[in-house]
Amino acid sequence: MENKGERDLRLLQLRFIGKILAGFTHESKNYIAIVKESAGLIGDMIQLGEKAGDGSQAYLEIIHSIEEQIEKATDLFRHLNRFSHRMDTELCTFNVNETLEELIALLTRVARQKKIKLEKDFQQDIPSINNNPSLLQLLVFHFLEEQFTRLDKDSSLMLKTSLSNGSVIVQIIAKGNYLEAESEKGLSNNEIDDYIIDQLRGIIVKDNDLISISLPVSLS
Amino acid sequence: MSQTKVLLVDDEVEFASALAERLQLRNYYVHTANNALEALGLVYKDRPDVVILDLRIPGMDGIETLKTIKKYDPSIEVIMLTGHGDVQSVQEGMTSGAFEYIMKPVDIGELTSKIDKAQKKRKEG
Repeated sequence: MENKGERDLRLLQLRFIGKILAGFTHESKNYIAIVKESAGLIGDMIQLGEKAGDGSQAYLEIIHSIEEQIEKATDLFRHLNRFSHRMDTELCTFNVNETLEELIALLTRVARQKKIKLEKDFQQDIPSINNNPSLLQLLVFHFLEEQFTRLDKDSSLMLKTSLSNGSVIVQIIAKGNYLEAESEKGLSNNEIDDYIIDQLRGIIVKDNDLISISLPVSLS
Repeated sequence: MSQTKVLLVDDEVEFASALAERLQLRNYYVHTANNALEALGLVYKDRPDVVILDLRIPGMDGIETLKTIKKYDPSIEVIMLTGHGDVQSVQEGMTSGAFEYIMKPVDIGELTSKIDKAQKKRKEG
């Protein structure tokens, strides 16, 4: 039988995947909607006799917009595909920056809805680590999710990576104002975060605006 | 016949601008807004006949925006724009005074038909 930590972990994973899929499908639908309206506009301009302004310039601009949307959608599909494969094996060697980049891409819509900016400041030369990438994404998501509910609009959350004393450090830095009801409370102490960080064999240090996750380069 | 004044509210700038152009080609007078604050500003300033409102716009919940519009002028008809997963929001919107809803991606014929019905109701009311 699963213990409490495992059970809570499964529940959080399901919520995480649900949130990612909801954001992905919504974003994909938006790209398709733009492509459909743009193609429809070209059709209208031809059918309703609208003259393209300067030669074919108007048509070219719309076609360019369609191409842009298809590129954005392709990027999103790539991120979701890589995200899904993160769960293939528990332990592997991976690049932390790429893992977080993926998370940012998949959570951008959630952040935009809250009017919170997701930013990154990655140290480029950090070594790849041997650990569980899916659990790292889950942990970072859990912190971001909490900060999304605490922060007021027009705030920002930055994901920062660096290398310190042989460990890779992931920091989640909040900038901006907290909602009135949240400002006094501070970050919650969730047992599940401790459970995940134990699995990752890392260390978490939490302050109100700064969460710091320290991960060993190798588990061995 | 006077043009129906439509306010189209969606945070996807390119979607809003392409759809607005298509409606303009069909002789509607269209303004666009990309967030709730901008939308409410245009509602107060231009008093549209029909608002097409994306339920998921930044700055304020779409339902809250709908309630604010209906409180300001109950005769303004609101058509909600939604993705397939927003069933609960659609129900809440309908009970909060929305005239209709339409799914994304939009069928232009279905949308214009709903705009015309909304305008007819407004004039009869």
